[in-house]
Amino acid sequence: MKWNRKYLSHCVMVWVGAQALIVLLLAAGCVLASRQGAWAMLITVAIFLEACLCIVFYFWIFRPYQRTERMIGLFLEGYSLSSLDNSGVSLSPVNERLTQYVKEELNTNRLLKLSKRQAQYRALQNQINPHFLYNTLESIRSEALVAGLNSVADMTEALAVFFRYTISKVENLVTVEEELQNCETYFRIQQYRFGPRLNLRIVCAPEDKEEIYRCRIPKLTLQPILENGIVHGTEFKIGAGKLTVRLERTEKLLTILVSDDGIGMDENALLQLNERLDKSGRAFQEDKEEHVGGVALVNVNNRIHLLFGEEYGLHVFSIPMAGTDVRITLPMITSNRELMRNEVLS
Amino acid sequence: MKEEVLRMDRITYREQGVTELNHFCLDIDAGEIVGLIPINDTGMAALIRLLRQNLPLHYGYVYYRGKLVNQWQESDYSFNRIGVIESRSGLADDLTVADNVFVLRQGFKKWMIRRKVLNRQLEPFLLETGVDLQADTCARELSAFPRFITELVKAVVAGCRLIVLMEPASVISDTRLDSLQRILRHYAAEGISFLYVSRHYEEARQICNRAAVMVNGQIAKVVSTADTPPETLQCFGVEAYTQLVRRQERGWHAGGAQTAALELHKLWFDHIHSLDFSVAPGECVVVQDLNNHILNDLTALLSCQKGPESGSIWVGGRPLTPKNRREVAVIQQQPAQTMLFPELSYMDNLCFALDHRLPDIWRRNAARANVRRELEGILGASVFNKAVESLTQQEKYDLVYTRVWLQHPKIALCVQPFMSADVEQRMQIWTLMERLLEKGISIVILAVNLADSLSLGDRLIRVRDGYVQAIYGKDEFASLPPSAPWHDFWSSADKEKESPMDIQRT
Repeated sequence: MKWNRKYLSHCVMVWVGAQALIVLLLAAGCVLASRQGAWAMLITVAIFLEACLCIVFYFWIFRPYQRTERMIGLFLEGYSLSSLDNSGVSLSPVNERLTQYVKEELNTNRLLKLSKRQAQYRALQNQINPHFLYNTLESIRSEALVAGLNSVADMTEALAVFFRYTISKVENLVTVEEELQNCETYFRIQQYRFGPRLNLRIVCAPEDKEEIYRCRIPKLTLQPILENGIVHGTEFKIGAGKLTVRLERTEKLLTILVSDDGIGMDENALLQLNERLDKSGRAFQEDKEEHVGGVALVNVNNRIHLLFGEEYGLHVFSIPMAGTDVRITLPMITSNRELMRNEVLS
Repeated sequence: MKEEVLRMDRITYREQGVTELNHFCLDIDAGEIVGLIPINDTGMAALIRLLRQNLPLHYGYVYYRGKLVNQWQESDYSFNRIGVIESRSGLADDLTVADNVFVLRQGFKKWMIRRKVLNRQLEPFLLETGVDLQADTCARELSAFPRFITELVKAVVAGCRLIVLMEPASVISDTRLDSLQRILRHYAAEGISFLYVSRHYEEARQICNRAAVMVNGQIAKVVSTADTPPETLQCFGVEAYTQLVRRQERGWHAGGAQTAALELHKLWFDHIHSLDFSVAPGECVVVQDLNNHILNDLTALLSCQKGPESGSIWVGGRPLTPKNRREVAVIQQQPAQTMLFPELSYMDNLCFALDHRLPDIWRRNAARANVRRELEGILGASVFNKAVESLTQQEKYDLVYTRVWLQHPKIALCVQPFMSADVEQRMQIWTLMERLLEKGISIVILAVNLADSLSLGDRLIRVRDGYVQAIYGKDEFASLPPSAPWHDFWSSADKEKESPMDIQRT
């Protein structure tokens, strides 16, 4: 067996061996000291050696063990997929193989493809052929125009555009501009239902607008959140509802705040939702778990985590009867070169 | 493009197994003044510790000036250059202003301290603030506002790009608060950011661009102070508080013939200059010191520690002397810390101001047992067996106010009673004071900042430079500046009164 410091079991064995050696040396030293009366020297050497061993124990065994245990604990709590990779040390070679196996099972690329396939499956589970759907919508639009029903024609057109973007466009990333256009299309459809009761405002600093609109974000990031705002927020509100999409940027970060002035949620519901968003690992481990509400947010958050890492994602703020804000943080990616660097995105 | 100064992203922070911050998110940009309104105290102290030092996180990320300084995987215990100015002084009392600013700074390595040079270096900073402050003044001699400014300059000189201000209005008077806001705006224009912690939304909205509402260690919502109505904050107990005040709204009316519970006649003492007002029995009067000068003087005079230079103090129609000093009770600020004796039992703490009513209380066990039996219904039976140190904050407040209730003074002087209290605590203090008033005890609330005083007060007396500047009756509270806490309550009360008349007119 070849000794390797990254295995805790090896370190423990070496440490125990060193301890035994020191005990033997000290025993021999005691015999010598009793003959020559050099007890002070012996005690000094003993203290020095034990101090060295304590330091080795702390840095080689205790700290790595604590760190590994913490990472595994957090992984089991559902916090992170990457925590398994970040512990730095392993208990033993067999344990390392086990960790490697779990990591492969939870491989990011695989999960991403799985997530995408699930989304496509859900979209197509009604056995709809997209082209057949677009053609039918076009036919309805023509009939409506011939009959002079302009509003029906407009609505059908919006629906066709919306489906074309949602189903046919297969890329992972789109520009903010495309995503906002899709939001506006979706909003147009919703306005036929709510009329002037619903307002959408898109706010962006004029000096940053061009850069922000070019920025790449995961497809279908904004629309599900907007839909959530309407369905869970403003729909139950008496009177007009306002939805705001606020876009801001720093040097490295794009922040999108989707706000509604709807009924909001209480403290416990907010806590639970944010917990589900933070514990993104659990969403993959427990796919069978049924949750009421917030599925769209968790889905968007998981895709962001898989694509860009856990530093980015969603967070929700809310007060009952004072609306809900969903904050999305994303990296500021504007060029293809940046995309190529990311193995998952390319 | 915005420049990020602080981003606390999805922080979950635990101390000794207790979750202090829960999915906590807060971001501050350069040159921004962000308000933080804690609805309760959970996580506040932990937040300050976490801002100062990169302690191990359970989960989350902390970015300061665009750099990741702390994350859940790795914490290095390093310190962040973030200034925190609290209501108690953070200066070395025996050093001068210049020494505090420069010598105590990290990285000051000179062997010889040349005062003249330091004073000269400090001058431009003091000029910038526009405050009349001498560089060689000893920190001990500074009152609250100059002390606050010194700490602010110290943080700026130390290179802090983010400064946390802990409830400035609890120590700085209204007029000085305007100056402080002007100085903050000046530094904000230079790119320094501020986190302004305040218990009152009305105060935060005067200066902040955004205000974050914090409840139980999580940020529930970040509201824009420009376009959000204050009703946004009517959750988390604030609404319950308003309802409590509305339900209990007392109809106190001055009975002209009654002897005043307290009368101050042309009182002169140190900062007090010809102070003249009276308080009727059962009345609650709020005395707001606009300069933060007279609180200590008035407390010392009314507790008979000192005598006035001229003028007189009358309590219940008799001059105040050490003999009848039990007719005035003083409740100090933060009484749970300042007015309890941990070495005494609960019962001793409760009864030691009863000697004027029951002189032989310490000899007669039966008398003490009676008191205990009577109060068990109010305070609960279990607290009597507890050590004072092990009492909860709520039980400590109960103990102090019940002591005064038992003492039955003519007048209770409450010094900044609502200082640093969260909503739940404020409601408790309010209820305890209401109990004193119901017993006919008059209350004088001494305050620098009005806080919740107007929710209880029958009259507001504003004192500037030691004399009475203005007196407001309850009907006139709505005419106070909108920044005054509870202004909206009195405005809406006024509207409710007006509405029946409107109906009559139509």
